[in-house]
Amino acid sequence: MQRFKHLRHSLWFVTLLLLGVTALSACAAAPDAASPSGSADAGGGERQTVTMWFWGAPPEHQETMKAVLVDPYNASQSEYELVVEFRNTVDKDISVALAAGEGPDIVYGSGPSFVAPYATAGKLENMDACSAANGWQDRILQPIYESGTVNGSLYSLPNSLNTLGIFYNKAVLEENGWTPPTTIEELEAIMDEAMAQGMYASVTGNKGWKPVNENYASLFLTHAAGPQAVHDALTGELAWTSPEIQAAVEKSAEWYQKGYLAGEDYVNLNFNDAVQLLADGRSPFFIGPTLVFQFATQFFQGEDAANLGFIPFPNVNEELAYPLYTLGTTASLSINANSDVKDAACAIIDRMMTDQFLVDMTARWPGYWGVPVKEINVDSSQLTGLSAEYLSAIADIMAAINSGNFGYFTATFFPPATQQEFINIDTVWLGTESASDMLERVETVFTEELNANLVPPIPAPAQ
Amino acid sequence: MKSFRYYILLLPALLLSMSVVLIPGLLTAYISFTDWNGVSPQINWIGLGNFRAIFADNVFWKALGNNIRWTILFVTVPVFIGMLSAVLLLGRRINATLYQLIYLFPYVLAPITNALLWLNIIFNPLTGVIGFLRKIGLNVPAPLGNINTALYAVAAVDIWHYWGFLTVVYLASLRQTPMDQVEAAQAEGANGWQVFRYVYFPSILPTVLLMYVMIIIFSFLTFDYVYLLTGGGPAHATEMLSTYAYTLGFSTFQVGRASAVGLVMSMFGLIAAAFYTWLSRREITE
Repeated sequence: MQRFKHLRHSLWFVTLLLLGVTALSACAAAPDAASPSGSADAGGGERQTVTMWFWGAPPEHQETMKAVLVDPYNASQSEYELVVEFRNTVDKDISVALAAGEGPDIVYGSGPSFVAPYATAGKLENMDACSAANGWQDRILQPIYESGTVNGSLYSLPNSLNTLGIFYNKAVLEENGWTPPTTIEELEAIMDEAMAQGMYASVTGNKGWKPVNENYASLFLTHAAGPQAVHDALTGELAWTSPEIQAAVEKSAEWYQKGYLAGEDYVNLNFNDAVQLLADGRSPFFIGPTLVFQFATQFFQGEDAANLGFIPFPNVNEELAYPLYTLGTTASLSINANSDVKDAACAIIDRMMTDQFLVDMTARWPGYWGVPVKEINVDSSQLTGLSAEYLSAIADIMAAINSGNFGYFTATFFPPATQQEFINIDTVWLGTESASDMLERVETVFTEELNANLVPPIPAPAQ
Repeated sequence: MKSFRYYILLLPALLLSMSVVLIPGLLTAYISFTDWNGVSPQINWIGLGNFRAIFADNVFWKALGNNIRWTILFVTVPVFIGMLSAVLLLGRRINATLYQLIYLFPYVLAPITNALLWLNIIFNPLTGVIGFLRKIGLNVPAPLGNINTALYAVAAVDIWHYWGFLTVVYLASLRQTPMDQVEAAQAEGANGWQVFRYVYFPSILPTVLLMYVMIIIFSFLTFDYVYLLTGGGPAHATEMLSTYAYTLGFSTFQVGRASAVGLVMSMFGLIAAAFYTWLSRREITE
């Protein structure tokens, strides 16, 4: 009997402890809301709620969004209240909600290839009237504006430009007598020397986010195959199996196999790890997207901020223009076709499509708010450190886009299944299939998508 | 009248089961014969087109092979560890509950927590065990980065989280063995192995078989740890039918094909469940 009593106490103890642990771990999954109460009634009385779901940004960035977007909008009028929910699984949540005819009023998406199926299915609102009322076509970079159209009508605008280039640690380059490379030979020579010294050639990785692979697929398509070849392939005028595209894929595989992409640690590093390694001087370079500026703020702080530099990626094909940028976007903003507050959603997106918003957000959150306006006409002299460096990079990209010197980010311009094939480019890197086999599959998949009208509008590059 | 009352009592469970299992299951079966993209109101019947497409895709066969390897790993390694630790705990008079708690701890944590623990504390080349071993001069390769070891590295994490659960289940079952049989065997001079083989094991066999069936079903549905640790990479080395279906459904908008993969997955679970039902009925009739 005594033993039974002891056992019963132990079981109670175990049960309570396990419940405690489970409850604690469940707490980690709860989404946060930018609104202090997370409700429409917070100080708003009769106000109608305008909802927007966003990815699970760090708390300081959530605070920035609240200070620059949410609070000023809510204070500017008394009819609506903007509520932003930060969700770690926003992509999946949006997909499921839209499919069910639900979801937020302002729809966060992963880009034009995401938008096309939802627009065709009538889940997203046609934004032509909103665009005309706010003069977006005159304000927004033409190739970016076009990329948000489906069958000639606007369905989305990106929140930010995103391109690929080289982040470098100025101190590491100076210590080793290296200068920022402008040719592929110079770049490879520095990386070889770095590896010989026991450093990483460059740092990056797809830990936790396999689509990082497409950054390097896009990079080599732009700088090895060239914008014209990719444009022609995306418009069906050139086969994906053409020699220039195959050479680009093979060049990316050569880089991976030489260990230029962090070697075997590629799958064990995420952007935070990689930027930390760059800041620690364990690599001269981080080759990646400009949105990485937002991660760099944690590691290049104070005086160290001056140590981070950003330069365009050099061309593998010497006949291409320099500097050349891969044109991409971080995310897209659309209006839910089932929203009851479409006008308010339009007005909020309009607030986000200004050079003033670009500068205000970049001042506190560099890397994610390179609003795709044609030019920056507001005073940005107050920006310092990484914010100034990012703004300078964005200004260079805007100039390159205006001149037509841009390639195509797979996430922005490729239809979904074709994009997925380029995310799986690591099959070539790791030698489980050849570049020609991969591209034959791409050709088949792309042809199906082209025939199904799933390819977004492809802006022409400069000749 | 009496049987009518039984049906009424069954109704809540039947309705629940139909709404969360049967109707979605039938819809999935229907969608697998269409070209539905998950959002469009237009759904076209394409017959066996999705099945032909997935059977012609090397990634599908790679994923199926990985699921089979995964199943073999899970019906051996955690079962052996779980059984061994349960038998060892059976003899302990003190602290057996504490050990169970420690073993069960990873099982009650969310998969994301366990995955992050392993990614950051074990596999991380900066702050993890791998990084530490490299710092002291050992040239340790990255287990998740190599196509020959990635599947085993992911399975190691899932097994680490799972074997404690098996220990608790086996131990509970071992404790149900009639003590008079154990004592009789010991009195007859049976050694430890013989007591286990001829007394304990026959007693817990139904539990062992049930767990085998559950493991086989879960092995063909496995998703969380693979998705969190590698996303199916590198180069599809850890691709499972579930991650393959997820990519088709959520990344490439090919929900019809994803449903076809889902049906194939269900088929393996169904075979395992049918086998278990047959086994249970045979046991009853015997």
